[in-house]
Amino acid sequence: MALIEAKGVHVRFGDRVVLEEVDMSVLEKECHGIMGPNGAGKTTFFNVLTGRAKPTRGELFLDGENVAGLPPHRIARKGVARSFQIMTLFDEYTARDNVMVALPQFRDRGFDMRRAAAGDSHFKSEAEKVLADVGLADKADIRAKELPYGDRRALEIAVALAQKPRVLCLDEPTSGLGTDGVQRLLGLAQKLKGKLTMIVIEHDMSFLFSLADRISVLHWGQVVARGTPLQLQENPWVKRSNLGKFS
Amino acid sequence: MNGASPNSPDAARLITPTMLIVWLLLATIPLWISRIGLYPYLGIEILIWSIYALSFNLVLGTAGLPSFGHGAFFGIGAYAFGLCQFNVSSNLWICLVVTTLAAAFAGALAALFISHRRGIYYAFMTIAFGQIFWTIAIKSHSITGGEDGLLKIARLPADFGFVSFDLKSNVSFYYFVLAVFVVIVIALWRLTHSPYGRVLSAIRQSETRAAHLGYKVWFYKASVFAISTGLSGLAGGLFAMAQLAAFPDVMSLHQSGYIVMMTLVGGGLVSFWGPVVGVFTFLIARDVIGAMTSAWMLWFGLLFIVIVLFKPEGIAGAFRSIVDSAKAKARHAQGMSALRLLFRS
Amino acid sequence: MIDILPHILNGLTLGLLFALIALGFMLIVGLMEQINLAHGSLFALGAYVGLQLLGPKPPLPADWTATWIALPLGWRYALTLVIAPAIVGIAGAAVELCMRRTYGKDPLYGLLLTFGAAMVIEEAIRLTWGTRDYVLQVPQTISGGFIFQDLIWSTYRFYAAGISALIIGLVWLVIEKTPFGAIVKAGAHDSEIVRALGINLSRLRLAVFIFGTMLAAVAGIIVAPIWGIRPHMGVDAVVPAFLVIVLGGVGSFWGAVSAGILVGLAVGLSGAYASEWSLLSMYILLVAVVTFRARGLFGKKSVLEA
Repeated sequence: MALIEAKGVHVRFGDRVVLEEVDMSVLEKECHGIMGPNGAGKTTFFNVLTGRAKPTRGELFLDGENVAGLPPHRIARKGVARSFQIMTLFDEYTARDNVMVALPQFRDRGFDMRRAAAGDSHFKSEAEKVLADVGLADKADIRAKELPYGDRRALEIAVALAQKPRVLCLDEPTSGLGTDGVQRLLGLAQKLKGKLTMIVIEHDMSFLFSLADRISVLHWGQVVARGTPLQLQENPWVKRSNLGKFS
Repeated sequence: MNGASPNSPDAARLITPTMLIVWLLLATIPLWISRIGLYPYLGIEILIWSIYALSFNLVLGTAGLPSFGHGAFFGIGAYAFGLCQFNVSSNLWICLVVTTLAAAFAGALAALFISHRRGIYYAFMTIAFGQIFWTIAIKSHSITGGEDGLLKIARLPADFGFVSFDLKSNVSFYYFVLAVFVVIVIALWRLTHSPYGRVLSAIRQSETRAAHLGYKVWFYKASVFAISTGLSGLAGGLFAMAQLAAFPDVMSLHQSGYIVMMTLVGGGLVSFWGPVVGVFTFLIARDVIGAMTSAWMLWFGLLFIVIVLFKPEGIAGAFRSIVDSAKAKARHAQGMSALRLLFRS
Repeated sequence: MIDILPHILNGLTLGLLFALIALGFMLIVGLMEQINLAHGSLFALGAYVGLQLLGPKPPLPADWTATWIALPLGWRYALTLVIAPAIVGIAGAAVELCMRRTYGKDPLYGLLLTFGAAMVIEEAIRLTWGTRDYVLQVPQTISGGFIFQDLIWSTYRFYAAGISALIIGLVWLVIEKTPFGAIVKAGAHDSEIVRALGINLSRLRLAVFIFGTMLAAVAGIIVAPIWGIRPHMGVDAVVPAFLVIVLGGVGSFWGAVSAGILVGLAVGLSGAYASEWSLLSMYILLVAVVTFRARGLFGKKSVLEA
């Protein structure tokens, strides 16, 4: 049984249909890629998946439970973490504090008003471990807004990882990165692969094709093709759009 | 960041050196305030408004919620203190607890409606609730005395069981308010630097991100609003004691605007002490400029415009920048981005 | 049942006036992306300048004064409706020049700046005219009342509702049917478009700000005989006007007009049955609507929240 199972997810804003009828299933520990042109509804699908948007109709099962329409914090607590295409960090906080706030242990103490957060070295070391995993160990004390772009992207992922998620959703993680940055990210993603379920929206095809186990192609709010990277290489839509870059 | 930088040693302290200096300075005020041409009552006003501004800044500066109707809760506190004294008990402590709870309850009620809103809609909902409470206060003659106010509120004695202090003189009342101020400062400092305060500050920086980290954002917003309004109400109760009466005027939109102004002028967005600095500036300017010209609001308004245009980080921020000139730019930028965050979704 | 009609008229009049104030305000929000809290003070200033023009000592050059006084009141009133807003427009231009520094920055900046400006204008009004209430003289033909169907009707309310509706119609024509309006709409959508068209954006913003201010000033003159003229009339008007915008949805013309009428009717009708509480009704209306519709009746996602 799939970990995530979307059945007939339909999203409409006013008279604009963004997702027509999306069916998708993602297996446990699978790395599932989503690609498609701009405006195809990829991010909206993520928003449904993480509770940011309510589907107009359709069902979304997470481990057998229908989570469609639950608020973001409920879905996050079920182990779904995400990064954002437009980076959403706590800019005034240091890298360490960004990660610290994301820790589930910290969240459990969120209503603690009596103890000083800074006094707890347990959170600190836990956060630093996560930062080390994404290669930011030596930048823990720098404010998020002062980090270079590539490091901010890495921090986005660190914040998501800090939640110890079962499902990690990455929305265009390579956007704005140079070749080196993409390589670094690919290394990181490959390290994570197999440890948790990953869903990745990506325009960079070589990135996606070398990472994903299976890929769904979204177009006009519908899944127009799906399969392993190898199968999809023969797909006309994929061929037409970006093969040069892929090879 | 509101308060000490989260990783400085002060953040983990219950009482910081700055607090001790501030308290000590405040404790000497009754000794010299008359000599510089001011009067002891001004000291009381400054302390009460400082408590109010610090509580307000919990919402504005720490959690980044633009509340423009806070005066209502200050006023509710004032009325609750008087009504409790008349109808429930003449014990000071009971009355102060009732006062705080009444204002917190009113705040929680408003918070249920507004906490799912953001930005401009949040601001307007707070104005609406402020006006609703204000109108009720003015129109309920039989309970609040309407425009005439609720008069003959007594300064109840502070009874500790073994010893009881009479607060009728302005000096003894000043020291009582100072004691409350000390407690509130410690509590708010700790709260700001607790995990709860961290989460609030995170919500200010990105509500969206906080929600996707599993935080029940609306509940945090609602709870901090209730805490802040409760403490504002406590300040209102003290104000009723100071004035020996409670008037609807403090609940008006103007007065709610002034508390925003004091907090921002002082630098509440970048500093824990900003609101206190703002209250000092505002009340002393009122008395000093007010003694020279009847148009003090005109001049203060112009001063305010200049500060918003050129020093968005406020007086406390600007002062710290002078002390540490290398950080001047950073502080300015911080003031700007803090302002920006208030209205981002 | 029929005795409710005058209250509906009152509500309608008030609503149209709120809508008029709100529209000027909204034009400014649309193009500057800043909230002008001084809008109410400029509205009050309109009433005071009108008062001065129609009073014994008009603020005109000495040699014009005699000619002016000699004109019949009706003429002077009609001219005042144009001249006073023009004078207030100058004050509006001064506010706009200060506000320039806040463009492209966050709405809170403009909000705070104009809160300061509102303080300054209101205080200036207090210093110039004092704190007492004034009554604005209006021509005989539009004052007084008449009896119809056994009910007393105020002529002025009809006039006020009519002229407000007329001006709202004119604003609509300007926005929808003139090149100027097209540019304003384009600018509200995306200020880059205006630049790309080779139009001087800062001059356009100044013009729109003055236009919005003039609408507020006209509303001030129209309201004056109903409310009386007093320094805090600005706040009395600006809060309902903002509320109208939030209720109608930021950026929606017909949203503002219908919300204005809705608020006016709520105030007017509750005034009929519980006059003490009439102002409360609009806040309750706001809370009720915004609780269920996050962006008001006709609102779309706006710069002011994102």
